[in-house]
Amino acid sequence: MVLLRHELKRNRKVMLIWALSVGVLCGGCLLLFPSLEQSMAGMAEAYADMGAFSTALGMDKISVCTMEGFYATEIGLMFALGGAMFAAMTGASMVSKEEEGHTAEFLNTLPLGRGYIIGWKYGATVILILLFQGLCLLLIGLGFAGASQYPPMEGLLRYHGAQVLMQLEVGSLCFLMSVLSGRRQVGGALGFAMLLYLADLLARVLPKLEFLRYVTPFYFSNAADIFTSGETDAVKLFLSLGITAASAVSAAAVYHGRDLR
Amino acid sequence: MSGKAIEIRGLTKTYGKHRGVEDISLFVEQGDIFGFLGPNGAGKSTTIRSMLGLLRFKRGEIRLLGRDSCREQKEILERTGYMPSEAAFYPDMRAGEVIGLAAKARGKDCGEEAERLCGLLEVDRTKRIRDLSLGNRKKVSIVCALQHCPELLILDEPTSGLDPLMQEVFFRLLLESNVRGTTIFLSSHVLSEVKRYCRNAAIIRQGTIVRTDTVENLSKTNLRLVKLKERGQEQEFRYTGSMKELIGQLAGREIEDLLIQEPTLDELFMHYYEDGEG
Repeated sequence: MVLLRHELKRNRKVMLIWALSVGVLCGGCLLLFPSLEQSMAGMAEAYADMGAFSTALGMDKISVCTMEGFYATEIGLMFALGGAMFAAMTGASMVSKEEEGHTAEFLNTLPLGRGYIIGWKYGATVILILLFQGLCLLLIGLGFAGASQYPPMEGLLRYHGAQVLMQLEVGSLCFLMSVLSGRRQVGGALGFAMLLYLADLLARVLPKLEFLRYVTPFYFSNAADIFTSGETDAVKLFLSLGITAASAVSAAAVYHGRDLR
Repeated sequence: MSGKAIEIRGLTKTYGKHRGVEDISLFVEQGDIFGFLGPNGAGKSTTIRSMLGLLRFKRGEIRLLGRDSCREQKEILERTGYMPSEAAFYPDMRAGEVIGLAAKARGKDCGEEAERLCGLLEVDRTKRIRDLSLGNRKKVSIVCALQHCPELLILDEPTSGLDPLMQEVFFRLLLESNVRGTTIFLSSHVLSEVKRYCRNAAIIRQGTIVRTDTVENLSKTNLRLVKLKERGQEQEFRYTGSMKELIGQLAGREIEDLLIQEPTLDELFMHYYEDGEG
């Protein structure tokens, strides 16, 4: 627990900045919805009929002039991207910052053990992602309350549950990246998150690239899909859980066997 | 438990194709103050980092305080204090927080000893690490290494960055710990430190141990520095061999002045560093 407390303390400022930025942005946009609702009603059909663009953003499935549709297409996009970027950044710097800052020697000569260190560092990554989610949800809830309109609760919870899994997968892959490289690859991690989002867009509009649906966690956690179908694809979900677990186990195995700088 | 605090047998560590250390064997008795000498890049830090489990080595065995360094690393580190050559901590943390973190990680209440050490070393615990000079970061490192009263102290070039007064305080603390039974492994290239404080020492050069002996015996050698004046010209050379042969070689030459002297410890180590002879 010593290391967990230490990591949460060290990362709280960055987590708060990201959660407040993403949460206020999402909540603020929700507050604008009542004033946009009328004008968007006339544009809903046009939004739904923009070919690949509508397909990529899910606007062909759900109307943007309802709170549910607005949340799924507009807010969901901001939240998914913001959340994935935060998870990627947190995972990518969790281990490598020690070697880059030359503190790995101090940490690893305390009687903790490499298993303990990697375990609690991964634990801190997971907890930071959950805290980010919680804080954002709180601000989004305030946005709904301010707009006095709510999407179906079940869809909302299902969506945010899928988002947690998506962020955990991105965070875990970047955590593994952090262990492998020994250098803080924040830029690479943010690029990786964006690449996964791009893979989701491509999988939706290009039939030849449909296999990317199984590659990117943005696919199964897409808000428009979850709100319209009312369910989450179990295969892709388990695949995501498998990738998350494999990344964490691989990170631990690599960390245990490598030289520390 | 064995009477040896450090047992290294056949340690070999390479970095890809690059040499680290090769077939190193080293034994340090409990309660000893042991000097580990060598020039930069000789393999001192590689040996120490292998001892502490920071490096995974290919061949060999390391036992510290009777325990295997690979399998029982945590147990070893509980009873060991380490001071690296570069004291790096979390820049945003205060000195006191770093000291507290090291104590908490050991699950010990080291408050009283930490307080005493901070007082002696004049550590300002309220200052952030990023605002501390190298010397002051070193002092924090000393407190972290000593506050839990370890049985084994591993010090990698500990005095670099410390002013002479603090070096005196530091060595006084080391001797104090040694009197209580702490074994001290001191890696250094400051020969005067080793000569003054260590009983035994090993010399490492190009990844291999050149010689291990008492500091007293290391100083004793048949190496001599010969200074002579011949036809107004002064000459100086090192000589290893029998005195009879040397006198024979000098006989018949027009020598005006001759001085044959034992080398100082510094000169002796330079001889080992350069030639690698035991």
